[in-house]
Amino acid sequence: MSLLDTRERKRASPTPPRAAAHPGLGQRIRAAKWSYLYLAPMAVLLLAFVVYPIFASFGYTFYRWNGIGAPGDYVGLANFRQILHDSIFWGAVGHTFVYAFVLVPVQLLLALALALVLNNPKLKFALFFRTVYFIPVVTSAAVVGVVIQLMLANFGDSAGSLLAKTGMTNGHIDWLGNPHTALAVIIAIGIWHTLGYNLVYFLAGLQTIPAELYEAAKLDGCGPVQSFFRITIPLLRQVGVVIVVLAFIGSFQVFDLVQVLTGGGPYFATEVVNTYIYHLAFGGSAGAAAEPDIGLASAASFLYGLLLIVFSALQVLALRGFSRRRAAADQ
Amino acid sequence: MSTLSQRPRPRTRLSLRQGRRGLLYLALLGGGLIWLYPFLWALGSSLKSTDGFFSGGLNPIPSEFHWSNYSEAWTQADFSRFFVNTVLFATGTVIVTLLATSMAGYVLARTEFPGKKIWLGLVGVTLFLPHGYTIIPVFDLIQRLHLLNTLWSVVIVQSAGGMVFGTFLFMGYFTTIDRGLEDAARVDGASFHQIFWRIMLPLSGPMLATVGLFACINAWNSFFIPLVFTLSRPELHTLSVGMFNFIGQNSTAWTLVCAGSVITLLPIVLIFIVLQRFFINGLAGAVK
Amino acid sequence: MTSSNVSRRGLLRTAALGAGTLALGGGLSACGSGSPSSAADALTYWDWYVTQAPWVDKEIELFEKAHSDVSVKKTTQQNAKYPDLVALANRSGNPPDVFMIPQVPSVAEQVAKGWLHPLDEWATPAWQARFPEGTFLEGANVFGGKVYSAPLKGSGPQLQLYVHHGVFKSAGLTNPDGSVKLPRTWDEVTSAAQTITKKSGGKSYGFGFGNADGIGVLAWWLDLFVRGAGAPGGAPTVPGTGMDYRVGKWTFGTDRAYADFLELFVEWKKRGFFHPNSVSLSDEAARAFFERGKFGMTVGGVWNQPEWTQHKFTDYSLVTLPSPTATPKGYYYADPVGNGTFAAVSAKSKKAHEAFQWLDALTSPAAGRRWVEDLNGVSAHPANNNPDGIDSKPFAAFIGMTEQVLRGPVPLVRNPELAGVAPSVPKPDISDVVTGVYTGQIKDVQGALSSLADKKYQLLSDAVAAVAKQGKKVSMSDYVFADWDPTKPYTTKKKA
Repeated sequence: MSLLDTRERKRASPTPPRAAAHPGLGQRIRAAKWSYLYLAPMAVLLLAFVVYPIFASFGYTFYRWNGIGAPGDYVGLANFRQILHDSIFWGAVGHTFVYAFVLVPVQLLLALALALVLNNPKLKFALFFRTVYFIPVVTSAAVVGVVIQLMLANFGDSAGSLLAKTGMTNGHIDWLGNPHTALAVIIAIGIWHTLGYNLVYFLAGLQTIPAELYEAAKLDGCGPVQSFFRITIPLLRQVGVVIVVLAFIGSFQVFDLVQVLTGGGPYFATEVVNTYIYHLAFGGSAGAAAEPDIGLASAASFLYGLLLIVFSALQVLALRGFSRRRAAADQ
Repeated sequence: MSTLSQRPRPRTRLSLRQGRRGLLYLALLGGGLIWLYPFLWALGSSLKSTDGFFSGGLNPIPSEFHWSNYSEAWTQADFSRFFVNTVLFATGTVIVTLLATSMAGYVLARTEFPGKKIWLGLVGVTLFLPHGYTIIPVFDLIQRLHLLNTLWSVVIVQSAGGMVFGTFLFMGYFTTIDRGLEDAARVDGASFHQIFWRIMLPLSGPMLATVGLFACINAWNSFFIPLVFTLSRPELHTLSVGMFNFIGQNSTAWTLVCAGSVITLLPIVLIFIVLQRFFINGLAGAVK
Repeated sequence: MTSSNVSRRGLLRTAALGAGTLALGGGLSACGSGSPSSAADALTYWDWYVTQAPWVDKEIELFEKAHSDVSVKKTTQQNAKYPDLVALANRSGNPPDVFMIPQVPSVAEQVAKGWLHPLDEWATPAWQARFPEGTFLEGANVFGGKVYSAPLKGSGPQLQLYVHHGVFKSAGLTNPDGSVKLPRTWDEVTSAAQTITKKSGGKSYGFGFGNADGIGVLAWWLDLFVRGAGAPGGAPTVPGTGMDYRVGKWTFGTDRAYADFLELFVEWKKRGFFHPNSVSLSDEAARAFFERGKFGMTVGGVWNQPEWTQHKFTDYSLVTLPSPTATPKGYYYADPVGNGTFAAVSAKSKKAHEAFQWLDALTSPAAGRRWVEDLNGVSAHPANNNPDGIDSKPFAAFIGMTEQVLRGPVPLVRNPELAGVAPSVPKPDISDVVTGVYTGQIKDVQGALSSLADKKYQLLSDAVAAVAKQGKKVSMSDYVFADWDPTKPYTTKKKA
């Protein structure tokens, strides 16, 4: 994404510029009054309905509270300690990371491959195919989950018996009920559901590469593989970093799909952090309705948020460092 | 012997190329069918009879066409009312989101003001924190504003969720616009407001479509927020909430469930297909 | 482009946008303020009854006919979300006039938080006398001497083993007279499952269930099979149950019945008797599969029956308390506390009088009889629980079984101050553990059972201690009934 030009000193208002000396803070604020005004609606909505709740929820982490009335049972850091010691929480973290670390590379490779195919200007109906492969993205994960669960529940045997015939497996496979296959199935569906985004991003990135470069390479005698690695990859680097970061952020927040398909089961085999938190906050995991524990859910949420911030920071640093080194090497 | 290019090319290679091209189309089409298979299956199953559903298996083509499933789902689940609610809700969210984020994005891209960097940092950080547990403070706030159980509350809360993403998109977009236009307008004596409303906003057409469609899709598919904020007024439920209740009440009437799913999915898919050019181009532009 | 042109155009554009927003806003707020026309006297009523909805709708019809000035507007919420929605509704200050009491939080807490309206103005002792003796218990539906609810359901055997006639007959499991040979012991169940699975060649299985929704189906299996084996607590299918009151503890780890049954359960799975999709099927899907004969036996409760009857499927039988021995060593026990409440009037209701009339209608003996006739379950009024006049054979059999439900110890009767005790639910709970054992994710079954029993005991102790701190006289010994013989009826005496 383009960075802001910090050397920009243009004023927003049409009033003639003041004295050349550094204007005071009050003057600068007054001069930028329209900026504040235009920023206001977004700021109000964000502060009131996103930022404030986060701080309020942080307060909840210190109480044991079932959501009714006001929190009264102060427990200090007990909630954090309980989460840190909960093996199911760490299992959920593990599953989420597995989900992300499998989904992102596989999906991005597939998306890139598809983008390369569709980027060919001689290919007709590229727009049509682009739309087709994008459609799952606009559908709600919850409804999709219902449909797919229906398919698998009723007719999953068909797929299972197909595999049995090839001799790879024996007997029926309960795709979503078998702890060894459930997460894989969810990842596959996750890849399918959001691949469209990355397809479009890659297409956009590919279109910024001038065709003349490829022509020149061909004249020089480069084969398609070589031009891929020497032209496409390096020039996609910048867009690629953004794509990778966004993809990871998205997959760490997976919730709808898992909740609808397996609810985190069987026996927490597919529990991801957001379903874990959801079960804490809204009671009712396996078994009859359990009392919600808002304090615990909030604590889990904050811990996870911290984990993600650390991870994303590391990721950005690593990718930046990597691309900078490559850029230097390419000089 | 056609001469498609300067260099001579043997005939066999040409037909091989066409053959390969044809194979590619076939592969893409086949891939596309598999890609959309769950929707095709849901569509087909929604038209089957209950017995046909079981005997048909994974075959998406129904043996007979039970259009009554749709009328049944529609009336039983009161879908017409939910449809209207969802349209109102999505429209409201789109308008609020576009207004707030375009204005904020412009200001962040093109103006300087004290506190800008702090603001950007704050906005960036909010991207990372999970939101699942935050519904109670929002609920309290809405209640204190006396907006509970209105569609307004759903619009506001839903829009709030899209502020960061939309603002960043607009911000990125506005920084790519040539400053010359702005400067020329200012020389002409245009005010801050005129520059934004008359020049910048119209120029951001693709981004308006992108952010707008994003907001529309998210609102259309949003479930939790409409559920919580229209609790006591079931007549205000949106399609996704209505669908959820419908599934709960009819979980074994699978053909009806499929019909309900199609009713919920189809409109947004259609809107997308109509507007996809703007959307995809805008999305692509944002990334660049 | 003169400045005046620009400003005028811009103004028009803004005005148009603004007007549009106003119109939209009008539309939205119109939706918000609602249509008062038809809703003038409507009582709002919330429940989660899906299969029982026909009964509710009929009661509404009859009620509205008898009370021409009142109408009832029912909203059926999703079962899983119901407690949260009620909590949020109360939080918003706009709860429904009458609502089925959610299982969570405890009724005591709901009273303490001011959710429920005391009914004594209308629920006079004469009215209360319509119900059987012992219906109104302090701590169950009476708090601080005030009545807050009345029961709809009575106590029947909570779970049964359902046997599909068609599947059994195809497998040749019949008596000489052609009737289906119902399995009553663990061994008979096992051999029946084996026969079915082998003889059907993959088309049918011995057992099946639907565990996907997380409502704890596998705890049902445990509960049904261990009681007869001598574990009178069964499994905690509902929060707060499952305790062996002879010792006042959960005995998963110490009572052999649990481990023995789980061993058998896993054995069944290893030998392929279960429908392979059971873990990921939804409970409703499993019901539909049973109807279609995809498996021969399943565990469920009376709530299965209305749907099957609606689909005209009645070719099945019920077996309760399958045990290792011919006679069960433990039974199902009446639950006057759990069944003591049904729905309540909201404290914030502006139509409390009409609301009570609706509640009265729902819990009346006549409505109870219609409840039974609609095959929904057992009525709180014993006179209604008569198998005569019931068309459905399986349901008549079920009603007949209510005589076998024994009176057991009820800690709340002994010490009503226990009403405020609200232990947390451990995670994983018993249903999770059984699932984990079934899928093989839990390898140390005995260890898992013991640690769960200990955890539950710990959580209960904590909850009891919390209530004791408030000055109430409660202790863990309130849960110990050393003189209880699970095979005989027991009358709980109030603590001195």
